[in-house]
Amino acid sequence: MKLSKYIISKHPVSKWVLLLTFALSVPSCMDLDIPPINVVQDSDVFTSENGIKGYLSGMYSQMHIEDFRYTHSRGFNNSWAFQSTFGMTGEALNRDIDGAAKEEESDIWKNAYKLIRETNYFIETLPSYAANFSTDQVKTWMGEAHFTRAMTYHALAKRYGGVPIVESVLKYPDMPIEEMKIPRSSEQAVYELIEKDFDEAWKLLPETSQKGRANKYAAAAFKSRAMLFAGSIAKYNEVDKKNNTDSNVRVCGLPRELAKEYFKKSYDAALLIEGKYSLYKDGWKANDKAAQYQNYVDMFFAENSSENIFVRQYSYPESVHGFDAYNIPRQYQTNGWTASTNPTLNFVELFDGFPKNEQGLTDVLNADGKYALYNSTMEFFKDAEPRLRAIIILPGDILKGEEVEIWRGLYIGNTSDGISLLQTDKDPSQKYENDSNCKDLIKSSQNAGNQTVYELPNGNKMNAAGKSGPFFDDQTGAMAGFAIRKWINPKMPAADVKERYSTQTWIEMRYAEVLLNRAEAAFELHEEGIADIDFLQDAYLSINHIRERAGANMLSNKNELKKEMVRKERRKELSFENKAWWDMRRWRTAHLEQNSTRYRALFPFYAVEANKWFFDARPDETNKRFTFDERWYYKGIPNDEITKNELTQNPGY
Amino acid sequence: MKKIIGHMSIALLLFASNACTESDNYDAPSDTITGMVMDKNTGNSLQTEIGDNGIRLKLMEYSWSQTPTPYYFAGMQNGTFNNTRIFRGNYGIEIMGAFVPQPEIRYDVKGTLELKIEVEPFLNIEWIGEPIINKDSTISIQAYIERGTKNADYQQNISDVRLFVVAGAQHIGENNKDDRYSLYIDGGDANAMLEQTITLSTRGKLLPGRSYHIRVGARMDKEIDGRRRYNYNAPKIVTMP
Repeated sequence: MKLSKYIISKHPVSKWVLLLTFALSVPSCMDLDIPPINVVQDSDVFTSENGIKGYLSGMYSQMHIEDFRYTHSRGFNNSWAFQSTFGMTGEALNRDIDGAAKEEESDIWKNAYKLIRETNYFIETLPSYAANFSTDQVKTWMGEAHFTRAMTYHALAKRYGGVPIVESVLKYPDMPIEEMKIPRSSEQAVYELIEKDFDEAWKLLPETSQKGRANKYAAAAFKSRAMLFAGSIAKYNEVDKKNNTDSNVRVCGLPRELAKEYFKKSYDAALLIEGKYSLYKDGWKANDKAAQYQNYVDMFFAENSSENIFVRQYSYPESVHGFDAYNIPRQYQTNGWTASTNPTLNFVELFDGFPKNEQGLTDVLNADGKYALYNSTMEFFKDAEPRLRAIIILPGDILKGEEVEIWRGLYIGNTSDGISLLQTDKDPSQKYENDSNCKDLIKSSQNAGNQTVYELPNGNKMNAAGKSGPFFDDQTGAMAGFAIRKWINPKMPAADVKERYSTQTWIEMRYAEVLLNRAEAAFELHEEGIADIDFLQDAYLSINHIRERAGANMLSNKNELKKEMVRKERRKELSFENKAWWDMRRWRTAHLEQNSTRYRALFPFYAVEANKWFFDARPDETNKRFTFDERWYYKGIPNDEITKNELTQNPGY
Repeated sequence: MKKIIGHMSIALLLFASNACTESDNYDAPSDTITGMVMDKNTGNSLQTEIGDNGIRLKLMEYSWSQTPTPYYFAGMQNGTFNNTRIFRGNYGIEIMGAFVPQPEIRYDVKGTLELKIEVEPFLNIEWIGEPIINKDSTISIQAYIERGTKNADYQQNISDVRLFVVAGAQHIGENNKDDRYSLYIDGGDANAMLEQTITLSTRGKLLPGRSYHIRVGARMDKEIDGRRRYNYNAPKIVTMP
């Protein structure tokens, strides 16, 4: 004090020096070793409910749900999803998918392991912050993390087979790089992990959950899906690939003898959901096809459907998709997109309720070999299964209060002796317009903007093609003679049908799939000779349950049920839900179904003179041919991962 | 001033030319693996298709590691293969195709390694007579398909028999075909064609004045390295009148 007094009194400048000295010395006492404030810390996230919810919602949004924003070409969470998988499975034709069907072009590997790391981090970190929350909250969240991890490993396993198993957070750079080179585990070990995580989720999760989040029944339902997948691989897969560095590790394929165990696990998991969820039948009435149809359409939009087990929601404008714009029939087009999904006749033929011949193919002819004539295009389908009408738009059916016009052309030839086949080639590759046999007998339109107008005998004018096609020279119409109705929002105003405007909910898991998993697992168990329960009877009841709601023909007893029917039921019920591609793969039938395969179309024609309609069934006019490359049963491991991690590649890559 | 500019230019040039003298640590690979896959039954080279679906060679270079990343290259349509950009070293070579699999064999590659691998194809397809041009602008051919091996593991059913047609391309097969004209037979119908003289005709109407390559391919229900590969007969060229 004395000193300072002295300095201050004697030297006026020095008081500033002193002040400066103090000012500089004060901050130096503060702790500078603080966590960077621009990085979110565990203590920010794991101490509040909102922090946890933020973390979880990140996990849910990264989860590999093949929804409205998934395509083979662009991967997950990309709203530019006009090349949907439907155009690769034979469910539909897509003008932007050529016949050379491709394996999924995007790799999920990196994103999947990123999500696994985040999940592992969550599982390791949350317990040390558990004191901030109630026991139930912690249990639920841990359950959701296990659920996420199981989902992610299944997304990997169904593509690659056995993958490296990482169950803890790898600490780089603390850990030496050699310890982080984790080889591929066996496919079996990965399915064991998936099962373990789903079981853990089942134990931890509550009975009910917020929409879009998992509860215990979601865990059971997805377990039934994963175990059915594993059972199918064990039974139908023939690929046997061992790890390069350890020949005891089978990275592709599961032991045949485990098939029945997997099927049993799938069956048991499906059983857990019985009574908790049910098929949506709010508007369903027995023996009322119109009500059954409407009920099926409404199911995909019902707010609190008893059928929805796990969904993904969207909201405008931050999280949207474009399903309506991409798939709306041509006549409702508003901004350039339309009719990407054109259901094939092969798909339509899976259903009952319209004329078919002994081979089960659509019969468009009379007994005399001439075309059968109808008063309207819908007359042909008047007895069609309600579910078919609800999944696709038949030519002439109603959407948004308007008739969907689908016809290929006008027949202007003589009709007094009936109409003979337009094309004589049984497997024609030429369009009608180029076929010398019929090109003078028909009128067609080049494209939607350039309709040929034809004057009818009564003086009225008629377009040569329907407003929604199909057209001779433009693929924006109904390329195979049908449009899709499933998921198309019937209430969306016409002007809003634009890209990134749709927000309807994606239903990833619904009770119908649980029933179908149960039926398939039960049938397989029956086929494997397991008889402690009457599995055949159980499968039969499940299938009839689905068929009743659909308004389809019922089976009268269990002995009528064949494996083919179980599979067909699945393809019908879960069509256009991104499930068929995986079913074809796990049954190992894709290479048989798609072997230079051309899918078929059904084209309505209007016979001018007779004032009647007829139909022609023929192969796709764009001559797309689909061949499934057998290597794709196991997708190639990304090359950079092989180089980085010395992984074993799958066969053929 | 001019002097300075001159000196600076020289200095710059020196820097620039210096950068060009730096070379890679290693010489470019210049050794060769060449050879053919020979059909044991006919003594000729194996008829197949170009690319990965025909003959696939898997090279494991053991010079540096016991678990190398495999290097693949593909053979040609006539069963030969040639790669003149191979690093010198010790390789395990496995050749895969539509024949009874062969074990990996080790070779030292130094200069040119010439291989002649004798294999038992799954199927042998023989031409019977010459193709006939029909009045309806199609071509009919006769062929005979028989098993090429007695190995009990490779007696699966025939799943596909195909008459491939393509215009103006020497490469023909499952990899390059014209769907409008080629004929595809599968399932039981295909299997019934084993050990029979079969007659196959092209589809549609072939164009007058054009030359078409044609050949028959057949495969059984057996995957080799992820693919069910075709065996073929040698292509023939038919010119339409």
